[in-house]
This record gives sequence, C-alpha cells and structure tokens, in this order.
Amino acid sequence: MDEKVLTQHFGLKELFRIEVYREQGGYKAVEKALKEMTPVAVLDEVKRANLRGRGGAGFPAGVKWGFVPQHVPKPRYLCVNADEGEPGTFKDRYLLTYNPHLLLEGTILASYAVGINSAFIYVRGEYEKVTLRLEGAIAEAYRNGYLGKQILGTDFSLDVVVQRGAGAYICGEETALLESLEGKRGYPRLKPPFPASVGLFQCPTVINNVETLSNIPFIVQNGAGWFIKKGLPKDGGTRIFGVSGMIKNPGIYELPLGTKLRTIIFEHAGGMKEGKQLKAVIPGGMSAPILTEDEIDLPMDFDSLAAAGSMLGSAAIIVIDRETSILDVLKAVSKFYSHESCGQCTPCRIGTAWINKIVKRVAGGEGERGDIDMIIRLASNIRGKTLCPLGDAAALPVLSICQKFRRELEGYLPHA
Amino acid sequence: MPRITIDDRMVEAAEGLTLLRAAESAGIHIPHFCYHPAFAPEGSCRMCLIEIEGLPKLELACSTLVKEGLKVRTKSAKVVEARKGVLEFLLADHPLDCPICDQAGECKLQDYFDEYGLFRSQFKETKEKREKKFKLGRNLILDRERCILCTRCVRFLDEITKTQEAGILNRGIRSEVGVFESEVIDNNYSGNLAQICPVGAITDLDFRFKTRVWFLESRESVCPLCSRGCNIVIDSHPGHPRTPRPRRVYRIRARENPDVNSYWICDYGRYGYAYLDEGRQAQLVWKKGGRETRLSWDKTSQILTEKIRSLGFRGKTSRIGIVLHTNLTNEELFLADRVFRKGLKVEKFFLADPPPGKGDEFLLTSDRTANRRGLQEAGPPVQAPDLKSLSELDLLLIFGHYLAAGTSPGELKNALEKVETKALFSSHRSDLDGLVDFVIPVPVIAEKSGTLTNIDGRVQSFTSGLEFKGEGLPEWRALLDLAKELRIEAKYFWPLASPEAVFRALQKEIPFYR
Repeated sequence: MDEKVLTQHFGLKELFRIEVYREQGGYKAVEKALKEMTPVAVLDEVKRANLRGRGGAGFPAGVKWGFVPQHVPKPRYLCVNADEGEPGTFKDRYLLTYNPHLLLEGTILASYAVGINSAFIYVRGEYEKVTLRLEGAIAEAYRNGYLGKQILGTDFSLDVVVQRGAGAYICGEETALLESLEGKRGYPRLKPPFPASVGLFQCPTVINNVETLSNIPFIVQNGAGWFIKKGLPKDGGTRIFGVSGMIKNPGIYELPLGTKLRTIIFEHAGGMKEGKQLKAVIPGGMSAPILTEDEIDLPMDFDSLAAAGSMLGSAAIIVIDRETSILDVLKAVSKFYSHESCGQCTPCRIGTAWINKIVKRVAGGEGERGDIDMIIRLASNIRGKTLCPLGDAAALPVLSICQKFRRELEGYLPHA
Repeated sequence: MPRITIDDRMVEAAEGLTLLRAAESAGIHIPHFCYHPAFAPEGSCRMCLIEIEGLPKLELACSTLVKEGLKVRTKSAKVVEARKGVLEFLLADHPLDCPICDQAGECKLQDYFDEYGLFRSQFKETKEKREKKFKLGRNLILDRERCILCTRCVRFLDEITKTQEAGILNRGIRSEVGVFESEVIDNNYSGNLAQICPVGAITDLDFRFKTRVWFLESRESVCPLCSRGCNIVIDSHPGHPRTPRPRRVYRIRARENPDVNSYWICDYGRYGYAYLDEGRQAQLVWKKGGRETRLSWDKTSQILTEKIRSLGFRGKTSRIGIVLHTNLTNEELFLADRVFRKGLKVEKFFLADPPPGKGDEFLLTSDRTANRRGLQEAGPPVQAPDLKSLSELDLLLIFGHYLAAGTSPGELKNALEKVETKALFSSHRSDLDGLVDFVIPVPVIAEKSGTLTNIDGRVQSFTSGLEFKGEGLPEWRALLDLAKELRIEAKYFWPLASPEAVFRALQKEIPFYR
C-alpha cells in the first residue's frame, strides 16, 4: 500500500541498523535541513504541515515548538515521550523496535528547528528490548556523526540520552514525565507555566511523542504540501492505528487520517474474529469514550471524533464483541485508573477508587439500585476538576459506558 | 492596579496576586486545604475551584493570577457543586472520629462541611484502613485515616526547614505521608507541622487529648525565649486546671508576622511554656531576723524609699546597686535608667541574664532573653556582677533570678550578707530567695504589657496573654511607685501611669524609638 509513510520499510530485515536505514534514504532530511535550511525554515515547514501530536492530545507540533522562547539565557531541552502507557496502544513500540533511526532523525530535526542541544528519550519501563535497540541506534548515530558535536560539519550539536521510566502510567503525562526525568516522584505539575517556557530543570522544553517526531523527516524531505495530502488539511499525514480486541488481524495499520473506523476494522484488520459480533469500539486508547456499533462510520481524525463525543487519542482501537460483558469492560477501566491514579489531587485519588469499589461490588453480585447513577455522579465530579488530564481520562470512558450501555449494566442490579 | 470583578463586586488587586489572595483582601474567603501562603501553590486539594467568565472549566483560585477584567464567581451553583464534590470525596474515606479528634473545632474539613456540605453520606463501600498512630516526629503523631494529603507538612519540610524528612509514599488511594528510612521528624520547627495541618492528621503529643479547643482562651503575645521576638498566641484554660500538673497554658502557637517569624515558631519557643506556671513566686515576703512576714507592696515601697532616701541624704547613692536582666520591657529598662541613673545618680548597674544557648540559622537566636537590644537602646550602661562590687553596697535591688547562676552559692551568700538591704523582684523561685530581705513577685512577659526590641531592632508591643496572679506587681509599676514615693521629678513621673505613657516618654528621649 503506497499510503504508508512511517512504516513503509517495516518489511526490510534489520531496518534498525543505520546502513539499512540509510539505503532507504535515511538521514537525508537531516543533511538537507542542516546544510540547506535555517532552523526557522524547518519550523515553518512543520507548522504548515499541520502535524498534530500523536500522543493523545493532538496539539499541533509546530505551534508547540513556536512557544519555546528563543532569547532566554537558559538551555532548551527536547523530551521524547516514549512512555507508551495508554491501554491498547503499541504503535510506538513498533516504531522504536523496527525503525529507531527514524525517531532519531526526527529528534535531530526538531532539536535543530528549536535550537536544542540536549534531548532525552523517556522510555516506558517495561520496554526493555526497545531500550536496548534504541541505545544501539543512538550509538550508531554517534559513530556516523549524526549525533554529538558539530553534526555533519555544521555548528549544530546534539546529545541524546535514554531514560527508562519505572512503570507508572502517570509518567506519560508530560509534566509528570519531566518530574520523573528530574529524578523526582512522577507527580504532574500545575500548569501554567507550560513546559515550553518552564519545563525540564526549569528550562524551556519541547515534549513530543515518538510517532509525532517520526513524521518530521518526511515533512522536511517532501514538504508540508505533500504531508497534508497524505492526510487532511487540518490534520496532516497518516496515523498508525493499533487495532486490538476481538479482531481477526490485530496489529498496527498506518492509514491516512480520516479513514473510516468501519473500514479499519472490517477491511484492514480483517473484521471480527470467527463467530464474533461487534458490540462496541474504544477508538483512541482506553481513556477515549466508547462508541457503539452504530457509531463506527466515523472518519478517524481528531475533529470528527471530538464532534462525536469521543477522541482520537493515541489511535488505539479496542474492539469489543457481544459476548464480552460491558461490566467487565467497566471493571477493567475503573481498576486501571484507580490503580494508576498518582494520588496527588483529591477527585482523581478518591473518586477513581470509589468508582472501582462500586464496580467491583456490582460485579460481585451485590449491586444496588442507584449504583449506576452514583457512578455517573462521581465520574462527573472527577471530570474537568482534576490537576492533570488523568482525571478526564478516567471519568470519560466510565461516563460513556454507563450512559451508552445503561440497560445492560442495570441487568446486573437487583430489580425493584 | 488591575481591576477584577469578584461576585459582582469590583475589586482592585495587585499584579501578580493570586485570585485567592485578591478575594481574601476583599473579604471573600475561598475555601482551601492545600494552599498555604508560605508555599508555592500546589493545586492538589481542588477545593478552591472558582468560575471565571469565558473559561469552560473551573479554575484554581490558589494559582490563577489576577488579570485586568477577569470576572470571577466564587459562589455560583457550579462552584458550590464542585466544592461539595471535593468534600464528598474527602469525607468518603475519612474516619469521622471528630468526637475524639483534637482538631475538632478548628478543623477545616469540619468547618467547610458545615458551610458547603451538609449532605448525607452515600458512601456504601468499605473505608480504607490506615495507621492511626504513626509516630511521625518527636512531638508528632500522624493519623493516616484523617490525612487529606494536602502535603503542607511535606512542603514545609522541603521549603521552610529544607530538612526533607517526609514525603508521600505509595500511589493513588494508597498514598500516605511517611518519613524516610525509619527516621522521625526531629528538627527545631517540627511543631509547626501540627499547626499547619488543616485537619486532625498531625497532632501534637504535647497537646493531644488534653482539652477541647473551644474551652481555650487565645491571646496574642510575643515569645520571650530568645531575641527574635516571634509573634505567638497563648492558648490557656483559665477555668479548668490541667491534670495532672496544674497549668494554665495548653499550647503556644505561631502568629503570622511576615517581618519577624512569617507563620512559624521554633519548638524551643512552642514547647518551652512550663515556666509560665511552674516555680513561680507567689507571696511578697519580708525576712527579718530569720522570720518571714507577709507584706504589702505599699509598705515595702515605703521601706525601700526610706532606705534610698537615707543613703541619698548621706551622699551615698554610689552605694546603691541595681541588677537588671534583659527580659524586662523597654519601658522598664528605660525607667530603671530614668529613675536611678538620671534621677538618683546611681552608677552601679549590673546585668545578670540566663546563659546564652545555641541559635540556629532560622529563627532561634543564641540569646535566651527577649530584649538585649532594648537594654542597649533604652537602658543604663551595665557591667557584669562581680562579688566584690556587690559586697560594697548598702542597698541592692535585684531584678530577675539569674544572679545565682554562674557564681558559687557560698560566695554569693557571703557577698550579699555584707549588703544591708536586698530586695528581689523575681517571677520565679531560686536560690536567691534565701539571700535577700524582700521577695517581690513580678509577672513574666506573657503576663504584662509593654514593648520589646528584637535582635533586628524591631519594636513590638504586646498586651498580657495571661493574668498575673502573684501578690506583687509589674516592674514598671514598681519603678514608677518608687519614683513617686521619692518625689523625684514629680511633674515628669506622676503622669506616667501605664506602659503606653512610659513608651511615649521614652520616645521623646530616645530617637531610636521614634
């Protein structure tokens, strides 16, 4: 399929080695940018490409870079968010495993555009093999003069350091990631100030997702116009959809933004498993509000899903079949967020645990009338009232499950 | 200054101020737990959420800065609903043991529930069981069930003492305040943790289970235990003696003063209040020929006046000596100078203070008295008491009970035996009592009014935080009575009838106090 960009060479053996990567035109974008383009030109190209963040929030990457002040007497940092923790999401793992040099190239370009000389890659603690491969790639890049002092004979220097997390979901939240990177407890920070002005070690910092940065070499090489054509005008490029659940061919599918959810499930991923019927889809990682089978004719892009009351998030599609009890889904969701709440702010710390206790009680056959309303009320008291987005991430799927599958859930409660 | 609207009221607020502070200065209280003015905003309790016109979500009053034209609502339905939500969450796991909680009556959780909650609990699940008697510090007990994780304690140890003994352990609902590696918090400021805890999670071993706060009478005072002059509140219990040791004072708390002690006091000042009720002089006595006679102050002052007068007639005022100490107020030190040095030409002033201790880098100074600077500015020149000079006197007025310290009792006794008349003005019993002719009880600083000059030269006035119950009188009054009895400068001394009047006179003579 010719629409693939990031994963186009995934079939090649040992793409993770710098020689193979370069044979496919790797590091050409770095050579082009460093020798022919000013940093501002790179930044403008990315801005024009309307590349939206692939981590979940969908903030335009170029705009984010533009917020970094250029005239402060402090170093600037880039943090690559490779703490891929959203349940259902595994796209970054593929990128890091099969094409780590693409991320490094994107990292070099972003650093060049923003004027950064130190980049950190914060890798999810569980990704041990990924880390080893990434470290191997970094060593190769240093040996070949793409990292280190005076890259390709220019004045631009960049060091890249890999740091592994310790397995907390919250450390994927960008400010908690910064705290963790500084060696502190992974508590999200109060915003403002935003990391672009006060970030890592109190210095201006850009934080980008692995997939986001992996797009940069293509934008630099082919231009913003080409990139937008790959996706949508306001939402350029492709997206790597990670499809899992009761599906014939689970895996990653790189497709243009705006591809219909139904197409992804039934054409690209081969449809439901033998004998299974579709019941619901979580379209953007576990924190995205659930969609029913009637709602899957949506184009998969940020704006369309937001309009439908859900979100594209990390583009992790979790397919749920009719035999799966929605209560089990709710149980998994509420247990996860209760377990992963950092505990810093009141609504998330206590609210998620409370909801989890109710769901467990209902699942244990001791539900009471009014429990669903209670869960909805508690989730509403978490939503929009927490210190970081984890509160919304915990409340929204719970709310959507309770509202859209109320009748099924009420079946678990004693009747009047 | 930017103008903002808070609850339909136009308010002018300084740039850089948070909405919470701006509202507070306009008399609108926005409830909060984790926010404390001494620390950077934390934003974790979510109690101070308010509505700002034009913004979709509720915003934090504790961290949002004032901006021209902001329209803020602190009591809208949305805001009140959010507050209720936070209270409901906090109370879900709360043990609700207010009847045995020391914080009851001054508990923010209790107060806010009363104001914004008043709902019936809908929590049907099992409450989390947690440690209820964790020894957090030398004087501190942590009840983890009551803790709302506002982290004020952690931030105090991070930001104020920078000792960093405590932190949050575990995650999510299992989060708890803990100390590292079986340490306990044992710094000289640990008592502040119990005071800043907004709920009853950290309680003070010294205060725990001793009384209910609503029985306490709170009066403002200044701590006299070092020369910093920290502002304090004395909580006493006038009606109900404390068992097993009968004391009036139940606790000392820090009182806010940004220029002196911010919001803090040291443990030395906080817990060192036993002296207020222990070892006090009770009776005014005259010891004559081995017999003790109870005496009134009027009579005593007559006897002392006669003695002074007779020495004065014989041109022997050089044989009068005064022992001072620096827990006397500016007014008293000034009067000692004005009456005896300027009025009677007395030359021998001695200083007998408690020995200095160890200061720290923060509030506690090495001085163990409150007014050394006041002596320098308002008092007479003093010398160290030497036994030879003392033994050559005919009349010795001793203020304070510190003279016995630093000399051997036998030698001091021999020296004082040679002095014809010795009067002791002291608040506490000591070895000196047996060596003098008159013992006149006086109040301690907590029991009187006046001013003190702290180590930085800051003059602080205070009024009595406790009633003085001895038979004697404050030193300033004693000095004025003697001056009046002696009829020196009658026009000057007669109108002086209060510490305030003395201070005004002092201001006229000493430029430092203007």
